[in-house]
Amino acid sequence: MERNLTHIALFAALIAVLGLIPRIDLAAGVPITAQSLGIMLCGTVLGARRGALAVLLFLTLVAAGLPLLSGGRGGLGVFAGPSVGFLVGFPVAAFVAGWIMERTTIAPGTAATAASVIGGIGVLYVFGISGMALNLGLSLTEASLLGMAFLPGDALKAVLAGMITQSLARMRPASLLSRT
Amino acid sequence: MTNLSHGIHLASASVKLGDRHVLDRLTLALTEKRIGILGRNGSGKTTLLRLIAGLIGPDSGTVRLDGFDPFTDRRAALAAVGILFQNPDHQILFPTVEEELAFGLAQQGLPQSQALGRAVEALKAEGRAHWAKAPVTSLSQGQRHYLCLLSVLLMKPRTILLDEPLAGLDLPTQDHLARSFAALPQRLVTISHDPATLAAADRVLWLEGGRIAADGPPLQVIPAFIAEMSRIGARDADADLAG
Amino acid sequence: MLTLISPVEIWAHRVPAGLKLGLLAAATMGLFALKSPLLLALAATATGALYLSGGTGFAVAGLRLVRPLWPFVLIVGLWHLWTADPGGGASILLRMLTAVALANFVTMTTRLSDMITVFQMLARPLGALGLSPRRLAIAMALVIRFIPVMLDRLVQISQAWRARSRRRAGWRVLVPATLAALDDADRAAEALRARGGAG
Repeated sequence: MERNLTHIALFAALIAVLGLIPRIDLAAGVPITAQSLGIMLCGTVLGARRGALAVLLFLTLVAAGLPLLSGGRGGLGVFAGPSVGFLVGFPVAAFVAGWIMERTTIAPGTAATAASVIGGIGVLYVFGISGMALNLGLSLTEASLLGMAFLPGDALKAVLAGMITQSLARMRPASLLSRT
Repeated sequence: MTNLSHGIHLASASVKLGDRHVLDRLTLALTEKRIGILGRNGSGKTTLLRLIAGLIGPDSGTVRLDGFDPFTDRRAALAAVGILFQNPDHQILFPTVEEELAFGLAQQGLPQSQALGRAVEALKAEGRAHWAKAPVTSLSQGQRHYLCLLSVLLMKPRTILLDEPLAGLDLPTQDHLARSFAALPQRLVTISHDPATLAAADRVLWLEGGRIAADGPPLQVIPAFIAEMSRIGARDADADLAG
Repeated sequence: MLTLISPVEIWAHRVPAGLKLGLLAAATMGLFALKSPLLLALAATATGALYLSGGTGFAVAGLRLVRPLWPFVLIVGLWHLWTADPGGGASILLRMLTAVALANFVTMTTRLSDMITVFQMLARPLGALGLSPRRLAIAMALVIRFIPVMLDRLVQISQAWRARSRRRAGWRVLVPATLAALDDADRAAEALRARGGAG
């Protein structure tokens, strides 16, 4: 089905674009990178399967040598470094977020926020922190402390993912492929 | 007796969007070489083109292109019909020119290396060999229109459907493209907002609200169309919401 | 589209991509099995020599690719100084930097098309799940094709925002950007179908 293919590809492009733009002011003048926001949106908008595939497609292009991770990073090196856990966790996070969106019937905005928190933070950080622990020879507690640095930014992004998904649902209900 | 194995034949074809008839029981036999379609926005022109190209199927009635159903028989459709959409950015799929050109050929069965070879040959024949590896984003709007046309032509369809091909282009580019179209040996079905561009057509269809308002030679249809458009334009048109 | 692949071709460009990836996997596993800082230092030096075999320009480009790791180097270094375990810290840092540098070396010396071909081969067993090499190639081309388009559009939306606001564009621009992505997906699907589909 061509539509599945193009939706997956276009959202992979969206993740890339969110890494390429300079840190946009997501809230009250606090510049943070928007890329993980794109991961969450893949799940909340496209649903579990297509969302995860979009992220996987994105990662495949990064692995092939395109500098699509925020900060212009890319190539196989990023998969050998300390953030590999987060990279592996990205498609899982999108899947979980999408799965939650698809299964619940509560309002899209609330559902998307919950999905983004559980998937985009909960699940993602399990992978991310484990990855850092393995790669940097830290204990899980030590790695968790390190991971806490990223947490406030990602928490904000989870809330924003919910708000964006809610706006989408209001503006064009059919746009939420996770809910059709 | 109409020869149904040749040409575009619609029999009571309808396309609905919800409850609304976008196309309402159209019955047409299109065999002429140059066919024009006129109509206001929302009259169903683009949907008609999509229907003929087999991108959508009718909700009722039948569509036959040279004897087959373009919606179900996609392979035959690829050889029979090509479609050029209004905005090139909505139809270019590949990042470089040669990849974009080669795609249709690869889809028709050619191995990728041969498809690329043919694509480069075609560019050479047009004096544009240097375009081959260029990123599509480096092309101007007119050049992108041209790329889309070339991509369609490479697949050698018997009929080409054009959806407002000259809209939004500057005059020299319009002239150049119009001349390219006029020289094409295929059957052309062209949607246009500008009646003047259809003056040389063999037959003009005026679509209004999903139905045929007029159908005949340009000298007959175009003045009637212009008169009606002026009449509507004199009123406060376009206050109604679609919903 | 700019890539991390070195435009200047060195000897390693001629080595088949699959072989390089296999060697990389083996080398990385070997690195993570080593514990001694001395052996890891040896590995790191060998990696440095590998880079220098491509010329100083190449080696400098390689250094640039490792630069984003500096916060981790700092943290790990400070942590292990704090816990009075400089040897452990050195091991970790050497291993991390070497692994990343080796992986980057493969990236820098493998053409995009070659890498994509290898991925297509790797993806073949997934054919049952609906992932044919052709679909993967079309998907990747679509992503590359649409990144500049979407970037442009996001910039335009942000400018439209700024034209009517004192503040810089906020998260709301992602709403029209996402809708536009969905529209682009619909139109690309149609264009794809008009030229034979992705089947």
